[in-house]
Amino acid sequence: MEANQEQVQDRVKRGRIHEGPRNHIIAFGISIFLTLLAFMAVANSALDATFIKIFIVILAVFQAVIQLAFWMHMKDRGHFFQILFLATGAFVAITAFIMAVYWVWW
Amino acid sequence: MSQAAHLDKLPPEPEKATLEGRNKVLGFWLFLGGETVLFGTLFATFIALRNSVLDGPTGIELFSLSITAIATFILLTSSLTSVFAIQAMHHKNIKNMLTWLGVTVVLGLGFLVLEIYEFYEYVAHDGFGFTTSAFSSSFYALVGFHGAHVALGVLWISLLMLQIKKKGLTTVTAPKIYVASLYWHFIDVVWVFIFTIVYLMGKVG
Repeated sequence: MEANQEQVQDRVKRGRIHEGPRNHIIAFGISIFLTLLAFMAVANSALDATFIKIFIVILAVFQAVIQLAFWMHMKDRGHFFQILFLATGAFVAITAFIMAVYWVWW
Repeated sequence: MSQAAHLDKLPPEPEKATLEGRNKVLGFWLFLGGETVLFGTLFATFIALRNSVLDGPTGIELFSLSITAIATFILLTSSLTSVFAIQAMHHKNIKNMLTWLGVTVVLGLGFLVLEIYEFYEYVAHDGFGFTTSAFSSSFYALVGFHGAHVALGVLWISLLMLQIKKKGLTTVTAPKIYVASLYWHFIDVVWVFIFTIVYLMGKVG
């Protein structure tokens, strides 16, 4: 098992395996931290409601970017089409979002 | 060929070793782009209708921050365990890969149990059914659609685990595991927006 680990480390160094779990665990830590921050902001009734809403949406977008970049490997090379596909989807989603917030009323 | 000899011949990143595997991953991203549109429109509908509660209960009355926090923690952790499964796959450690996929499935099931309990409470005790108000319809459509994705993911990964047991880790089965893990991460990313826009914003008012 130990020899196997060394072989793996060797392959990581030579770039044949792109990374170990370190970045993924950091991404997990950041996600937990951002989530806690959002829950604490909402639990804190002293803050202004509009401020909380904007703040937690920014935290959500940030967390989504972190997870896409690290867990879904978007930060790695050769992900042009991946980014294009998701950005196209996000464009439609954001258009629908703007429509819902500014154009639709009941 | 014995299993060990076979694994020795397997390339370091088996999911990207063949053109078919690479195309499968790329095609899956196109699907995820479509999923983004799907959830984007469901989110937009929810945002437009979240204050149209008629005589039914509002988000502030319904939602529980503690249940949402537990569900969020479960799903976030399951995303990390599916990363560990892919890491084990890259180390050609099938036993660890299956273990981490199993943990992911169990956490996914835990999330589903929590969501079913939550929906049951809403319907049975709070009088918050699918047709109660525009808010309730858009809520169940959005959160329920996400829950259905989790259920599908649990089923999908479970079936893949059976297939790995039967056929082993090859350049054909590895892309399937990789794509299922991408799907699971995407479900988690969608949940980040659900707990923020539906639950936390619902609590703020």
